[in-house]
Amino acid sequence: MAHRVPSTARCPAAGGFFVAGTSQASAPVDAHRLRSIYLDLVGRPPFRSERDRWLAADFRDLVDELIASDAFWSNWLDEQLYYFLLVDNFRPTTDSIVSMPSDLRSRKVGVREALHRIALSSAFERRNPGPDTYVTVVMEQLLGATVQKRPRELEIGKRIYDGARGNFLGQTGSSQADIVRFAIEDRQALRHFLGREYERLLRSEPTTRDLSGWVRALEDDRLAYASLVRGWILSPAYGERLASTRSISNRAFVRMLFVDLTDALPDAGDERRLQIALDGLADAGPLRSVIARLLIDSGKVALPERDAIADPTQWVRELFERFLGRSPSEEELTTFVSAFHDPACKPATVVYAIVSHPEYQTW
Amino acid sequence: MNARTFDRRGFLKSSAACGAFAMGPAALRPGVERKTKRVVLVAFAGGVRTKETLGTPLNVPNLMRIAQEGVTYARARTANLGHFGATMSLLTGIAEARGIRDNTRGEDPTLFEYVRKDLGLGAADVWVSTSGGAQQANYAYSLHRDYGAAYGANTVDGDGIFNAEFRSIVDAYGRPRTFEPRESELLETMRGVIGAGVSGKALNTPKSFAQIEQYLLQELTSGTSDLRGTGASDAKALRIARNLLAVFRPTLLGVTLQDADIAHSNFNGYVEVVRRNDEKLGELWDAIKADPELAESTAIFVVPEFGRDSDLNSRRGLDHGDGSDDLRLVSAVCWGPDFRRGVEVLEEVRTIDVCSSICHVLGADARYAAGRRLPKLLA
Repeated sequence: MAHRVPSTARCPAAGGFFVAGTSQASAPVDAHRLRSIYLDLVGRPPFRSERDRWLAADFRDLVDELIASDAFWSNWLDEQLYYFLLVDNFRPTTDSIVSMPSDLRSRKVGVREALHRIALSSAFERRNPGPDTYVTVVMEQLLGATVQKRPRELEIGKRIYDGARGNFLGQTGSSQADIVRFAIEDRQALRHFLGREYERLLRSEPTTRDLSGWVRALEDDRLAYASLVRGWILSPAYGERLASTRSISNRAFVRMLFVDLTDALPDAGDERRLQIALDGLADAGPLRSVIARLLIDSGKVALPERDAIADPTQWVRELFERFLGRSPSEEELTTFVSAFHDPACKPATVVYAIVSHPEYQTW
Repeated sequence: MNARTFDRRGFLKSSAACGAFAMGPAALRPGVERKTKRVVLVAFAGGVRTKETLGTPLNVPNLMRIAQEGVTYARARTANLGHFGATMSLLTGIAEARGIRDNTRGEDPTLFEYVRKDLGLGAADVWVSTSGGAQQANYAYSLHRDYGAAYGANTVDGDGIFNAEFRSIVDAYGRPRTFEPRESELLETMRGVIGAGVSGKALNTPKSFAQIEQYLLQELTSGTSDLRGTGASDAKALRIARNLLAVFRPTLLGVTLQDADIAHSNFNGYVEVVRRNDEKLGELWDAIKADPELAESTAIFVVPEFGRDSDLNSRRGLDHGDGSDDLRLVSAVCWGPDFRRGVEVLEEVRTIDVCSSICHVLGADARYAAGRRLPKLLA
C-alpha cells in the first residue's frame, strides 16, 4: 500500500519554504512537465497509460502519487548507489539493500539509516579497499570533506580502521563500523546529502538558510525526506528547473529509450549492461545511436505500417510531444511531413531521427 | 653514448644514487624537424611500485625492452591524490586534490585538449582507452572555459562495452540494417531541423560520430569481448589501444589502467596484473614497431600514477598511504624516434612533467600545466 506523503502544512519544522510552492502546484500538467517530473522522480518517462491519465491533471496529485511509489524509492536508491559508484560488480545485493526501496516507502527506515546501510555494505568495503581509500571516501562522499585539508583526521581514521582506538569526528571508536557511524551521525552528513539531493532535483544550489532548515527538519523527523522533496518540487524553484536543460544520464537514457519505444522498461540485466557500456564513453552519443538502431530494427518496437498512418502531420506532432515533451515548430513539422512522403522514408526513419538527436538526450 | 644495461641489480643500485648521468644536452633546437607525429601515453595505474616493475625484470620483460631502447626516469615523484586524482594529474600536469570517487570533470585542461586545440585536430585523432568505468570517462576533457568538450578526446572503456554480456545483447537484437543513401539523406534533413539544428559544443562532428558508430559495431564482434580473468579490464584497454591505433591512427592515445589496485588484498594477484599488463604492453609496442609508418612516428610513455606502501598490510596486501619512497617515487619509461636510447636519468622529476613533455613533443603548449619538460629526453 502506498503511503500518502505528508502535506506541507504538516511539516512546520522545515520552515517557510513550502509556502512558496503554490505557483508550481496550481499549474496543470502539460507534456513537458509530465515528462520532466517522471524523469526527475522515478528516472523514466511516463508509460502510455500514465500519460493518458495525468495530462492536464492536477500537478500536486501527480507529485504526491509519484513520491509515495516504489519507483520513486527504487530510483532514489539507484541514484545513491551511482553516487557512491557502487555499480556493476560493486552493486550491493544483500537483503538489506534489496529491500531498501520498500522499507523507505513503508517508512520503516529513513534516508539517513538507508545511507548507513549502504556505507556498511560489504560492496562499499570492496569498492574502497584499504584504510586510506576507505576513510577518504567516507569523509569525501558522506561528509563532502576535502581530505587533503584534514590530514590528521584521516590518519586517526586509518588507525581506527585497523582496530586502534581513536577520536574521529568527535567520537571515540575502534572499528570500520565506528568510522561509518560517526560520519553518518555527523550533522555535516545531512547537510551534504540534502545539498546534493537538492542540486540533483532542482539543478541549483540551496541557500545556507534553507539548507539549515531542512537539516533541522530531518533531525526532528527521520522520515521527513519525502516531505522535503515534495516542497522542493512544488516550489517556484522547480519552475526554474523546468526552464533548464541538462544532458540525460546514461541510465535514464536507457530507460527512456525503452519506455518511449516499447512502453516498457528494459530487463534489469540489459539496463545495467547498456548503462555500463555507455558510461565508458566520453561521448556516449555514437553508442546511444547504435543502441537506438539496434532496438528500432530488432522488431521489438511496435511501429505502424507506413500505409496505416492516415494523418502524418498528427503522427509527427505526437512523436514530438511524446519523445521531446514539446510540440514541433512549423519548420520541423513541415520538414518531417515532407520527408515522410518520400518513398525512401520509413516510419522507423522518422523515429530514429528524433531519438538519435541531441535534444532527445537532454531533459 | 652512456647507455645502461637494464637488470635488477643495476637498476636498484643506480636508483639508490641520486644524480644525472645521462649524456649531453637534450633540448629540441628550433627548426629541427621532429619525427614524432603520434604519442601513446600508458598510465600504468592502479598503484604500481618500481619494485615489481623495473626492480623485478622478470615481471616486465617488455617494459625492460622499451627501457633499453628508450629513456627511463627512475625517480619520478608523484602525489598521493587517490587513483582518480593522481591519474588526472598525469593528464593535466597539475597535482590537485580530487575526491577518490568524484565523478566529475576537472577544471584544468588535459593534454588531449591542448593537443587537439593547438594542432587543430578532430575528435577521432585523440583517444583514451580506459579500464575504470564511468569515472574515467572524465579524463577526456575538462570544464576549462578555453577548452572543454569541443577539444576533448574520445574515450572508450573496453571492459564496459566489449564484454560477452554486452555482445549477447547485440546478438539478441541483431545488427541494425544499413540505410540506403536516400534514406540517409532524409534522416539528416530531419535531424538537421530539430531545434533549428542547434546541437551545442559536441565532442564529435557528424563525420567522427559516424566513424565511431561503425567502429563500435565492428569491435563488438571482435575477440576483445572474450578477454577474461584477473586484469581483464586492463588487458582490454591495451588491446583496444592497439586496435584504435590501427583504425584511427590517432595523434594522441591515452591508456589508463587500474587493475593493479587488487594489491590491497592480494599481492600475488597484483603481480599477476603487472605481468599481464606488461604482456599486453609488449603487444602494443610490437604492433607499433611492425607498422613502418607508426614505427617511425610514434612515441610511447609508460608511467604509474603512484606506487604502493613499503610493507604488506595485515591482509598480506599492499595499500597506498604510508608516504614512503615506494609510494611516492615511480619509474617513467619513454621511447620514441626523437628520444635518446638506453638512458637512465637519475635526477628527480615529477609525474606531472609528462603532460608538458608530450605536448612539447607534439608541438602543443600545455600552458596551464605546472609540470616542466622531462630533462634529457630528446636526442
